[in-house]
Amino acid sequence: MTVDGVPNVRVCVEPVREGATVRAQNVLGSLDRDLLNVVDRIGGPFTPVGFYYRTMLRPRRLWPQYERVLRNLAGLGCLDKSGRRSGRYDVEHRRADVLVIGGGEAGVAAARAAAENSVGSVVLVDERAAPHIDGVETLAPARAIGFYEGGLVPVDAGNVLYRFRAGKVVVATGTVEQPLLFPGNDLVGVLLPQAVRRLVDDWALKPGDRGVIVSADGAGLDVVEQLRRAGVEIVEVVDLRESLPSTLAANGRRGRLESVTIEGRELACDLLVMSGGRQPAYSLLAQAGARVEYDARRGIFVPVDLPANVEAAGSVTETEPAAAPPPPSFDGGDAKGRCFVCICEDVTEKDVKRALAEGFDSLELAKRYTTVTMGPCQGRLCHLPSIRLYARETGSDEGAIGTTTARPPWAPVSLGLLAGRGLEPAKRTAIHHRHVELGATMMWTGAWRRPHSYGDAAGEARHVHEALGLIDVSTLGKLLVEGPDAAAFLELLYPNRFADMKVGRVRYGVLGSDAGRIMDDGTIGRIADDRFYVTTTSTGADTVIEWFDWWNAVWGMDVEVVNLTGALAAVNVAGPRSRELLGRLTDVDVSNEGIAYLDTKEAHVAGVPCLILRIGFVGELGYELHFASPYGEYLWDTLLERGKDLGIRPFGLEPQRILRLEKMHIIVGQDTDSESNVLEAGMPWIAKLDKDDFVGKWALEHVQARGFREQLVGFEMANGVVPAEGGQIVLDGRSAGRVTSARMSPHLGKAIGMAWVRPQLAVEDARIEIKVDGRLEAARVRLKPFFDPKGERLRA
Amino acid sequence: MTGLDFVSLDRAVAGDGFEPRLSSPLCRALEGSDRVLDLSFLGKIEVRGDVDAINGDLEVVRITPQRALVLCAPEEAAALRDRLPGMVIDMTAALAGLELHGVRTLRRLTDLDLDALPAVGRVADVPCLVLRNGDSFRLFFPQEYGHSVAEVVLDVLKGLE
Amino acid sequence: MSFLLPCPNCGPRDVDEFAYAGETTERPQGTPSPRELASYIHFRRNAAGVQREWWYHRFGCELWFLAERDTRTNEVLKTELPSTDAAGSPTPHEPATPDTPAV
Ligand SMILES: [Zn+2]
Repeated sequence: MTVDGVPNVRVCVEPVREGATVRAQNVLGSLDRDLLNVVDRIGGPFTPVGFYYRTMLRPRRLWPQYERVLRNLAGLGCLDKSGRRSGRYDVEHRRADVLVIGGGEAGVAAARAAAENSVGSVVLVDERAAPHIDGVETLAPARAIGFYEGGLVPVDAGNVLYRFRAGKVVVATGTVEQPLLFPGNDLVGVLLPQAVRRLVDDWALKPGDRGVIVSADGAGLDVVEQLRRAGVEIVEVVDLRESLPSTLAANGRRGRLESVTIEGRELACDLLVMSGGRQPAYSLLAQAGARVEYDARRGIFVPVDLPANVEAAGSVTETEPAAAPPPPSFDGGDAKGRCFVCICEDVTEKDVKRALAEGFDSLELAKRYTTVTMGPCQGRLCHLPSIRLYARETGSDEGAIGTTTARPPWAPVSLGLLAGRGLEPAKRTAIHHRHVELGATMMWTGAWRRPHSYGDAAGEARHVHEALGLIDVSTLGKLLVEGPDAAAFLELLYPNRFADMKVGRVRYGVLGSDAGRIMDDGTIGRIADDRFYVTTTSTGADTVIEWFDWWNAVWGMDVEVVNLTGALAAVNVAGPRSRELLGRLTDVDVSNEGIAYLDTKEAHVAGVPCLILRIGFVGELGYELHFASPYGEYLWDTLLERGKDLGIRPFGLEPQRILRLEKMHIIVGQDTDSESNVLEAGMPWIAKLDKDDFVGKWALEHVQARGFREQLVGFEMANGVVPAEGGQIVLDGRSAGRVTSARMSPHLGKAIGMAWVRPQLAVEDARIEIKVDGRLEAARVRLKPFFDPKGERLRA
Repeated sequence: MTGLDFVSLDRAVAGDGFEPRLSSPLCRALEGSDRVLDLSFLGKIEVRGDVDAINGDLEVVRITPQRALVLCAPEEAAALRDRLPGMVIDMTAALAGLELHGVRTLRRLTDLDLDALPAVGRVADVPCLVLRNGDSFRLFFPQEYGHSVAEVVLDVLKGLE
Repeated sequence: MSFLLPCPNCGPRDVDEFAYAGETTERPQGTPSPRELASYIHFRRNAAGVQREWWYHRFGCELWFLAERDTRTNEVLKTELPSTDAAGSPTPHEPATPDTPAV
């Protein structure tokens, strides 16, 4: 049944609620005119097991259509593709000294004993309402859905998933009555004893007028009492332990039971209660690590060798023996009904035989082929019967066939509950709300939310060249590397040299691995003899910090690495008028002598202590200000206010990407990949191969010795078309490289980009062609920055 | 100005027409909720080195044998930075702080053993220091997650109403 | 995966709190031959059994430590902080490439 859109709801345990929308599942229309019947009737021979795999494999393009029909036929419920989160789901982490799963007699006794012995906190989980026990916390209705490694037991309580870690888990899940296999066993009116007990005892419903009972154990026969109470006329009771009929079949019309035929005798009835005995519900124990073996005497699988801290209570291990296990299936004589092994997945006895005939003789393979045990009941009702059937058909015994792995979830669980809250933590800068108020389009870069632009990327980029721009760069990774070994530590980590750096200077650094690969880049400022301020890329910050800590853990040098990423906000004030603005806000000398290109200095700016770094990622005179993040909004506001007459304008990430491309400054991960090294990426001056050692030295020496295979260069399009990133460079009809970045530069009025090309093309002005929308467009290679190649604007 | 003043909150100077003011990343996200207290401006001084050498009547949270966080009133931070032993870094700006109540609230935020606090671990999917005093908990975590964590905390509280 | 990993500093925690960084490697002493270099950079034992490996307590104390774990069962036999004598200590190797451009 589908109740309020939730599929696979078991009718006999779901209470009726006012206003609930209940729909039949696995039928089209009403049961009386079940359209699937048509498929069943004509399809009996037409839709055998594995039908999809064999028949609908080709043509592949028709799969979507096939699938749509098959999904409907399979009756697996309906996914609302435009649906939104419909309810709230929470996860609660719980600990308990004893967790009892199952609130039957044995579970209650175990919980009571644990509470009386005051072993600590005791929690009892039951599918239905469990009784109150002193000293025991009861969770009901709730279901343990699996037993995961580390002793993790998730419990489904509707809208809350409890993740239990318990000192001891007591599994008292009892047994599951097993169906008998005979033709017509899917008809409405064929019930298991458990369903009868619930209908009569719990809901006071009369399950039928005339009943037949066929059972392999005493518990099944006991429902006679319930049936009498409900006023059901008992037509016949068959105790399979005493007499085993040679044929058994149920007959019906329009899906409803009308009679039962036992050894040729036809008995009119509308209720058939059947039981093939009880199988321990051992799934949770097996998931916990217990071994499961076949007990031939009792004809069931039993859990043995329980792992430490896991106990079983009650009938999950101690089931009274049936005198003799029932046969795997009954011959129905000339009955027309189909004999189902797996009701959820519509697998019949015939399907299983067919799978075997096709060579799927291993249980695990056959399970995947027929999908028996893979439906919502998770094998509760079909695992044992299917194994019995396999044993008979293959002429082996059940023990030799073994069991399939019953993986979690043990019970159907809603995807919403598994997904939980579903919020990924986002990082926001201290200036975040200002961007939103200024109308910025926000975008993700890693976990960060950043302004893409404030509505006019090209205009914002041009404005930085012409006047004054302001960008929030708080997302940069910021590290303090401090200690007597600080310089030596950085010398080992970077290909660059730092030992010769003077206090107050900044250097561009590229971080590499021992494979020579470029991992990250940033600036390194020496702010004291034994103290360096290191910035990293925004998305690489966490990796770099862990990388530094890792090597420090190995080398054990006298140096501390401190992550200041969140402690500090940072902005870049860039453009020809940036010096004038900075001069208004600080007492320090901001002239080219006072703070030269690649200088760093601590100063109060608008009353806030800042570390000023004069660097130029965007290619214009500019200052990065790094300062305590709670002053973020204040300093941002003050810069905009005091720079108003200078025409200051905020700019986003997209204009920054245009500006850096004009300078041919790389973005790690965009212009570089897992093969890129500083030599081939056109930055050979970074690598000081004369140093004794640094991470990546040997690999770079190897690259130098073997010669370059490709090189990172710039290119300029002949006719202003912007190629796609990833676009192919073509030379004489063959691939000769790929585009990594491309943009229209509003300042230069040209389409420019960067690309990896074969070394022979890494020559100024070399002609190349780039594939754009299937056409070849002409371009020229450029080795020097497109804008201000001599860096005069940066140094001005 | 020397050292690491640019990391601290208490080194700003007003005057010359400048009035530096602080804003907490949390205050907007908390929407004035009275069930959660913003502790972001509490002084948080990290000490690296021999943390056993820290003395005085201080709230010291030991994170590793070589690393501890000293919690203090904002106005005490400057004096503490001067007198604490080892390498001292002001983490006041780095860590946002929240105070909230209820064991159940915490259980919906973290897998940490609430009977074994203080501890550093995963709370609301971010790295976090958790301290407990009876039914009241203080959380300290990277401030850049402030908004996200506040959203989750408020939502959890709503779910428990 | 939901096993518990005992951090040498913090005690047992959900494995989700940690970053896994692969089996330990030995960084060559002196200049390696191309074969030694390739073996150090690219080759791993990939043991089906007990493996010595690096972990980082990312959501906790931020310490790197070594674990001996059975890769077949996730049973953790031992964890310890690395010794800080530089000679012969196992070395980090390259972390996975970040999947977003670093800007
Ligand atoms: Zn730890």
